[in-house]
Amino acid sequence: MEFCFLRILKLTMKVLVMLLLFLGNIKNSTAYFSSSSEATMHTNNWAVLVCTSRFWFNYRHMANTLSLYRTVKRLGIPDERIILMLADDMACNARNKYPAQVFNNENHRLNLYGDNVEVDYRGYEVTVENFLRVLTGRHETAVPRSKRLLSDEGSHILLYMTGHGGDEFLKFQDSEELQSHDLADAVKQMKEKGRFKELLIMVDTCQASTLFSQLQSPGVLAIGSSMKGENSYSHHLDSDVGVSVVDRFTFYTLAFFERLNIYDNASLSSLFNSYNPNLLMSTAYYRRDLYQRHLEEVPVTNFFGSVMETIHTDSAYTSLTNKNFGGAKTKTFLGQSFSSSDINSVRNSDDEDQFNNLTAEEDQHDEAGQCIFCAMDSGHLWSFILGNVITHESVDFFVCYGLVLMLPLLVFSTWLSL
Amino acid sequence: MELDPKTMRTTKPGLKPVILTLIVPFSFILGFPLLWKSVEIYRSPLPFRGIEAFSSQLDSEPVHFRCQFQAMFLGFNFTASNDVAEAIINKMSLLNPNSSQCGNCGAYEVSVVIDSGSSCMRTENSKAQCPFKCGEEVAFFGGKLSDEDVDELLRGCLGNVDGGGNVYSVVVVNGGDKEAEVRAVVGKYRHAWILGRVLEEEALSRVAEIFAKVFMNGRSEGDSIRAEFMPVGADGRIVLSFSLLNAEPRDWIYDWNFREIDEILLQPVIQSLQPIANITVESQVLYHTQKSPFSYWDEVLGSHISSTKDLPFFVNSNEWHLDTSVAAGGRSKMLQLVVYIPSAKECPLRLELPNGDLSNTNGFISPMWGGVVVWNPQSCKKDLESKDSVKHMISTQDIQKFSGILMGQLRQLLGLKSDNLYVGQSGTYVLQGSEKGFTQWELDVLSRNHVCFNLYSCAATLGSLSRLVQSLPRMIITDEIGKKVMISLEAAKFAQSNASAGIYDASASSSRQARSLAEDSFFHPSIMSISYYSYWHSFIIYTPYFLLVMKPVIFPVLSEWKRYKQENMKFVAWKAKAK
Repeated sequence: MEFCFLRILKLTMKVLVMLLLFLGNIKNSTAYFSSSSEATMHTNNWAVLVCTSRFWFNYRHMANTLSLYRTVKRLGIPDERIILMLADDMACNARNKYPAQVFNNENHRLNLYGDNVEVDYRGYEVTVENFLRVLTGRHETAVPRSKRLLSDEGSHILLYMTGHGGDEFLKFQDSEELQSHDLADAVKQMKEKGRFKELLIMVDTCQASTLFSQLQSPGVLAIGSSMKGENSYSHHLDSDVGVSVVDRFTFYTLAFFERLNIYDNASLSSLFNSYNPNLLMSTAYYRRDLYQRHLEEVPVTNFFGSVMETIHTDSAYTSLTNKNFGGAKTKTFLGQSFSSSDINSVRNSDDEDQFNNLTAEEDQHDEAGQCIFCAMDSGHLWSFILGNVITHESVDFFVCYGLVLMLPLLVFSTWLSL
Repeated sequence: MELDPKTMRTTKPGLKPVILTLIVPFSFILGFPLLWKSVEIYRSPLPFRGIEAFSSQLDSEPVHFRCQFQAMFLGFNFTASNDVAEAIINKMSLLNPNSSQCGNCGAYEVSVVIDSGSSCMRTENSKAQCPFKCGEEVAFFGGKLSDEDVDELLRGCLGNVDGGGNVYSVVVVNGGDKEAEVRAVVGKYRHAWILGRVLEEEALSRVAEIFAKVFMNGRSEGDSIRAEFMPVGADGRIVLSFSLLNAEPRDWIYDWNFREIDEILLQPVIQSLQPIANITVESQVLYHTQKSPFSYWDEVLGSHISSTKDLPFFVNSNEWHLDTSVAAGGRSKMLQLVVYIPSAKECPLRLELPNGDLSNTNGFISPMWGGVVVWNPQSCKKDLESKDSVKHMISTQDIQKFSGILMGQLRQLLGLKSDNLYVGQSGTYVLQGSEKGFTQWELDVLSRNHVCFNLYSCAATLGSLSRLVQSLPRMIITDEIGKKVMISLEAAKFAQSNASAGIYDASASSSRQARSLAEDSFFHPSIMSISYYSYWHSFIIYTPYFLLVMKPVIFPVLSEWKRYKQENMKFVAWKAKAK
């Protein structure tokens, strides 16, 4: 059939063109302001803390996340730069003997769910899709600022995930999974859009280090509580609350941070070396091939604490002291911006028109429908039908054409069998 | 003769059964393209070639801005105006070796007018009048007028020179008292002047320095544009959030008349920054906002001192709930401008610089976040007689004082300096301030930097988007995204053409539009890669169904064809026998 051949030809040409373009696009266009992360100043720290398990017996995952939340706040990161995702509510759970209190130690010395906990995503809002939306920044327009990761090129982000995991996945809410390639893809898009300068991923699950095995983006440091084939264990059981209250990896991380305050200079390598495989009962494996700096030189407060680059204001801007406040209003000069907004609005309408001309293909089909077929002979009929099928997407037309095509077939087959 | 029906037949076998069984697979084949088309997903055509061309064009040739400079010399005895122009150009390229980088004037021309009283020379590209009336007026009024008046005089006078638009001028007038110092002032518009007894060489150096360092570079020392001084949000908006913090309302409560501040101070600034960003303003007054305690009492200075190394911890984000805006969209950038009133325990609070001096502004900024000014009340003594807290209004003089500091901080956040004096290699220059917060030439510098930043950001975003879209062949691309990408490319082209024509503010606003549309299309909520599976996935889903369905379609054909062949052999055998 002619049209089949034409169609296949068009398809192959499209594929070839796309392939060429794709190969051409692989070379990254170098940005003018240098895209290497050394050039931008480190201006702020963000933390994304995710607990992915629900149900009462996963109390320890919630306690893990809240402990890290408390540490990070104590070291200076404010609530507006923390995204806390908790998949279930343990503090107000009906089985909680200590209502509104969450502990991470059986001595109950510290109530993690204290005065000032701000949970951004709670309960069923913690899904893989929402998590990836937080990372990539693709929210619906109505999502409030407190639920968005508003980081920029100068941000260091701490991403902590805990829950149940396995080989190359992390389980969310006991019903869906986050795959390692999805995480790697999200991180790649974040890097391309300059949403972070450096990223530290900490994962406390079983077979945790498989989750970041697919990462390729530079500037990422990742540590997992166990390697492939190993489990991560809880630290101890609180017989009063009735469940295990903390995991080993997080417990020893907190022990490290309880010794620190905001001024301290402990390095990341000291943190990573503080994990003892015998105490953890698993091997804490970290991945540093994508991270350029030396771990001995990076203080932990680079990720866990607050940083604020400050520049002193040398002097006031003097001409404004001549302004007459409270008195007669000074005549304001409207400036030369009048032309630009006009040009802009004119240009906008031009753009719209041009755009419409560029993409609107000529609409040749006749809305009147089926009577056209009656008027044409078979050759023209066929090419007319095909021409419209290939350019026009309307479902009605498919149904129309399909049904009409079946009719002669039916007639023909009936005649044959008679 | 007996016929064995198993081996022979007398009639030719009919083809009807075969044809009948062929009809079904035939209709499948016929309908297959329709089926394929019906499951095709809608992808709005994105201009991949256009995006690729745009990125590579930006890489190969950075955006060129057209700048014109003119230097007017009065009372000098230069020999040839072309030599003077060349000398200035040489000095400028020495001062500014990276002039082909984005943000600078790529190819600039310098025109010179030399009026030595008796004769007048000018270069061919000069459009100024000769003899130079402006210079004579300036020389006449000279030191008797204030800087603002000289500025206005020159503006009225130079404005008549053709161009009007973006021609940067320096008027050098040689003369005046021998003892008087050489005075170099850069005005609010696009001109500067140098008055006094100047030697020729010094005049050339100063002129070149004003052109290269002040007008082209905006006094920045670095080579490239720093991204941390571009606080414009992805939707082209900035929200300036002003907060007045009363640390301890039990001591005293202060309030301010923000409406006045907004109308008198902020509106002109916002209008002048219109090409660069769409700025909105909001304000709030907060109470019980203690800062983290890091100050010590100094007996000698009589105040509480906080040193600059404690500044990173000054902002106590646990108590200062600054980000309470309901109007700011998700992609706007918010800058917090905070006026902090300390409690009686810490009053007066001063900042100490590393060199031991006390700060005279008591303020600091954090790039991409905002700025803080500490304002101490007049008397630090708590009013112990009144039981209730009395609400005081901040007086207009105090507002004037800290509004100057806040304006300086806003300038710092945008990458400019807050002071009015520039010390260059050839001398010092006084920079006039403007009641709009930014002078014309500073707005030009900002526009150029923002055009560069926006265009490169737009190209990078569109490139990422096209790579992402091509890597997910089954992802739906809505018309909205396609349209935004097209308009973004158009706006970017428009920005580039305006930049070459020298119309900076139109270029800045279209580059801002290009960037915000590119960001909108990249961050469109429907582009979630997790929702779109690959071809393999759909193949694996559909194969079992189609394999099963194909069985009753294909097998009858095969069996009918086999039967036909058998019958045909029987017929052939009978024919052979009959012969």
